[in-house]
Amino acid sequence: MALCNMSPPALASRESQLTYSDDTTRTVYASDVEVPFPAGHLIVSRTDLAGIITHANDAFVDMSGYPRHELIGAPHHILRHPDMPKVAFKGLWDDVVAGKKWHGYVKNLRKDGAFYWVYATAVPNIRQGVIVGYTSVRRKPSRTRIAELLPLYAQWRADEAQGSTP
Amino acid sequence: MSLNFMIAPDFAPERFAGWHMLNTVLQRRSGLGVHLMTPANAQEQGLALAAEKVDMLYANPFDAADLIRTRGYLPFARPAQRYDEMVIATSAASGLLCVEDLKAGCRIALTENRDVKLIGLRLLEPADLLEPLIEWVPVDSYQAAVRRVLKGDVDAAFFLAEAYASLNRTTRGQLHVLVESAISDISHVLLAHPRMATQLPAIEAALLNLGRAPGDAEVLNALGLPGGFIPMTHEEAEFMIDLMDTLLD
Repeated sequence: MALCNMSPPALASRESQLTYSDDTTRTVYASDVEVPFPAGHLIVSRTDLAGIITHANDAFVDMSGYPRHELIGAPHHILRHPDMPKVAFKGLWDDVVAGKKWHGYVKNLRKDGAFYWVYATAVPNIRQGVIVGYTSVRRKPSRTRIAELLPLYAQWRADEAQGSTP
Repeated sequence: MSLNFMIAPDFAPERFAGWHMLNTVLQRRSGLGVHLMTPANAQEQGLALAAEKVDMLYANPFDAADLIRTRGYLPFARPAQRYDEMVIATSAASGLLCVEDLKAGCRIALTENRDVKLIGLRLLEPADLLEPLIEWVPVDSYQAAVRRVLKGDVDAAFFLAEAYASLNRTTRGQLHVLVESAISDISHVLLAHPRMATQLPAIEAALLNLGRAPGDAEVLNALGLPGGFIPMTHEEAEFMIDLMDTLLD
């Protein structure tokens, strides 16, 4: 499912062209404005097997900057930030499709071009032995871990830009 | 033959009378014999469950996860507008104002309450405080936790949010809330053993209709659950379990 291009935000931002795993593309705008994760909250969403959002809690809606009706039915990569290497999401999908839990630090892109960091966990929803969808829960991350991961993510993105797999 | 109705041992002592009132109402309206079981601790609850003595259970969410998925218990209701949230609090005089002010080696008091501990651990992650980096100080009650915090024996304490809210105003004035969870998706659950499937509709109707008759509000207030109970489907319970699974590590 192809997403509409983002509208340029009012704040200074950089433009990027993202290509997703379903081969669709989207123009996005990312600013340097960070929105802090709300203490004590969890961001919760569910998707179907294709990664289409079927449930978003209030914290998800608030932090994404999108109204709920624009999130439900949209692919979860609507939040993909250009600073995130694709390989991080490949690992996520490889794990959950195999029925495993996945954890990772993720920089998300808001509708207004700002960003927020999360510590994300995704689990498959297994019913009668069959995976019927996925649940993702994001919590407030450790800034220390993010600082440690920034060079690694940058390296992975550089590798991707050169066409090599990290 | 009576049905055994067990209440998870984490209920507040002041709610004891409320559970007995509820039990009486359930018996009268369902026409079934219901025997209330109030185990003193998690071990006593576990022994009764292992001995297959429990027909219905007001379960804490983490026990519910195991009972639903591995033992086939049927979720059928949960409290309305009442979620299991927790508070991490320090002494107001301590100078500890946010989670990041807690450092490795800090001492934290907590009661025997698995879900409070688990959620609390997740709220400490932004401070890089993992479980082994904390010196845990077990206490028997939330009042004991308050005493340890105010005496400076511990840096902070974990509280069930409901228990924290029930502290008197003076006590709360001496404490500082570092963070309070706002998950809104995890709650206690009413479960039925599969062997009572035929009696379940009568119990379910009695429970879910509570609040409509004169005098019901008194029962619900005594339970500390003024909103009463609402139905919980199997899929809603599975969703809650999936969510809790993400918090385990």
